[in-house]
Amino acid sequence: MNIPTPSPEESPSATADTAPRYPYADYIRGSGSGVLHVSYNALAPQIEYAADGRPLPYHAPMLQLRPKEVARLLQPYVSVRFMDQVRAVVPLAIYLALFQILILRQLVEDAWLVTGGMFAVVVGLMLFMEGLKIGLMPFGTVIGEQLPRKLALPLVLIITLLLGIGVTFAEPAIGALKMAGQIVSVERAPYLYALLNEWSDALVLVVGASVGLAAVIGTLRFLYGWSLKPLIYFSLLLVMLPTLYMASDPQLVSVLGLAWDAGAVTTGPVTVPLVLALGVGISAAAGKGSGGLAGFGIVTLASLFPIAGVLFLALYVASVQSPADIIEAARQAAAVADAGVSAWYTRSPGVEIVAGVRAILPLVIFLFLVLSLILRERLANQAEIFLGIGLTILGMCVFNLGLTYGLSMLGNSAGNLVPTAFMEVAGIESSPLYRYGIGLTIALAFAWFLGFGATIAEPALSALGMTAEELTNGVFKKKTLIMAVSTGVACGIALGLAKLIFELPLVWLLAGSYAAAAGLTLLSSEAFVNVAWDSAGVTTGPVTVPLVLAMGLGFGSATQAVEGFGILCLASVGPIITVLVSGLWSSYKSRREVRAAAQAPSLSPLATAQEIL
Amino acid sequence: MSDSSITYLTDVVMITCIVTQGRGDEAIKVAREAGVVGALVYHARGSGVRERLGLLGIAVEAEKDVVTMLAATDQRDLVMHNLYTQLGLDRPGAGVIYAMPLDKMATYIPADERQRLQAEALK
Repeated sequence: MNIPTPSPEESPSATADTAPRYPYADYIRGSGSGVLHVSYNALAPQIEYAADGRPLPYHAPMLQLRPKEVARLLQPYVSVRFMDQVRAVVPLAIYLALFQILILRQLVEDAWLVTGGMFAVVVGLMLFMEGLKIGLMPFGTVIGEQLPRKLALPLVLIITLLLGIGVTFAEPAIGALKMAGQIVSVERAPYLYALLNEWSDALVLVVGASVGLAAVIGTLRFLYGWSLKPLIYFSLLLVMLPTLYMASDPQLVSVLGLAWDAGAVTTGPVTVPLVLALGVGISAAAGKGSGGLAGFGIVTLASLFPIAGVLFLALYVASVQSPADIIEAARQAAAVADAGVSAWYTRSPGVEIVAGVRAILPLVIFLFLVLSLILRERLANQAEIFLGIGLTILGMCVFNLGLTYGLSMLGNSAGNLVPTAFMEVAGIESSPLYRYGIGLTIALAFAWFLGFGATIAEPALSALGMTAEELTNGVFKKKTLIMAVSTGVACGIALGLAKLIFELPLVWLLAGSYAAAAGLTLLSSEAFVNVAWDSAGVTTGPVTVPLVLAMGLGFGSATQAVEGFGILCLASVGPIITVLVSGLWSSYKSRREVRAAAQAPSLSPLATAQEIL
Repeated sequence: MSDSSITYLTDVVMITCIVTQGRGDEAIKVAREAGVVGALVYHARGSGVRERLGLLGIAVEAEKDVVTMLAATDQRDLVMHNLYTQLGLDRPGAGVIYAMPLDKMATYIPADERQRLQAEALK
């Protein structure tokens, strides 16, 4: 190789001293490379004058871009938003796929379909979030600002209640709950099957109404400055009593997992900002300002009330239908479905599109009605709003497709395969892969890291951490909160998996953990209670929920469990406990520091006094 | 000259670069690599090309980072050239960059540098 060795004449210092130096500006101007100086007067518009000599107002014409320019305009806009979602989805997907290939030694089935599905999830979420921002959020802002000023409080609260129903239908993760119904065996859990199939619309309606009620009570709480603690105790009583009653009924016990999981599904990217906008608006109109605490509580109640709602719905269903009726009806429905070619809207691409439109349109129509009939307002930039709504619907449809072919498939196959690590599973040779103890540890560690990784990347958590740090005057660090919540979710998911493996009764796990949470609540200060109970709601985003639900159901069917629900609710009680514990610990530490600081100066004069003596 | 005397720097330009919110740090990085010492960022809401693009306007964020920096006149064209090309300001709606002459400025100058300048000025 000939590497040029610099001769003494060519060395940089020599040239710098001897060669003439020009300013870069002169060089560029001199070489004339790509630089053109033009008077702006040549580009500025010509103003026209009226007959009397006054200048006429100038209206800039719309810009006509060439296709290439449009591409250059959109490229950075799209790529930033695309990468945001890629960062949320791809690490989880890769973790699941690598775990299957390396530890479980199974190739991912239909790898191309799953990859396409994950791509659809990314694109769908990107369109959905952007559409939400430009299409639905302007409604939330205007309604939140205007409604409390123009209407009496009771009417505002009724609209809040209705909004709660609308936003719940629009939550992307709700689709996953409905999809889960297709896997449940009607013979073994008739009521669960009925709730997820025949009664699935009623189920979402009840969940939505519960979210609305939570929004109403959360708003009232902020308006009148109620403490969150008694509300938590009351809601716990409301959910624990029917839970304990239903746990004693062998037919109803299978519904418990679903009911408790419903709470985790509700608080997502649509509900939280829209309901909060209204809550903050009401408090601002009442002259209470919009402090950091305004949003708290609503999320907590919105994850507890739906549990009670679903439980009561199950009790109602149990009072009107017997298990035998349900099994008979399911058999007839299956016979009908087998007999004829199903309509386009019940088959795969069609059903997702119909679901997407049905999820968004009611909310949009409701918001439009409130705006035009009650507020008599028109939104600026109507075209943009319509584009945003279109993007939201399109995004929801694409996301639903991705849910079917990507998240649910991947989660389900992971759930199906993980048991092969420690037990014999029909259809898979060489299972169990590992000795029982080792395999079990691998399975639980898999669940733990899945929960930890999925939570630590959640953007909502970072925002909550910031608020928590402000609320507690820095006693509770943002990093501490993120670690505490991630650990809590991880332990919750691992415990949920253990529940499926050992068939632990969910009711006692829930009763125990919520009793612990209630006890810790009693000991903690109001600020920590607010942060801790809300952290349960924010952690379960539109990617985590379907993945964990599908994994639980797949795991359940592989281990012959009756149903695979219950993982999500343990994942939401986990962070409550860990956050409360770390909150108590950090306030204990800061109190000890304060005491140490108070004692230090009093010690030193004493010491000097002793020295003098 | 005593220590309390002021040293004016002349031949200064102020370069202002307006980019989409969040890209301010990127602009500062490019400017530093072109020899600019420091920069100031503030947030603003812009209007202009967004309103004239119709529905495509959603791709142009109204929230902007305004980055201002001071540079020597000799640095000006290199800094502007690098900012323009590396931030892709030739895309529609990506941003604006402009420079204006300043009469004089004064700030902290490291002691060694100041001694060198004084010696040169005396020559």
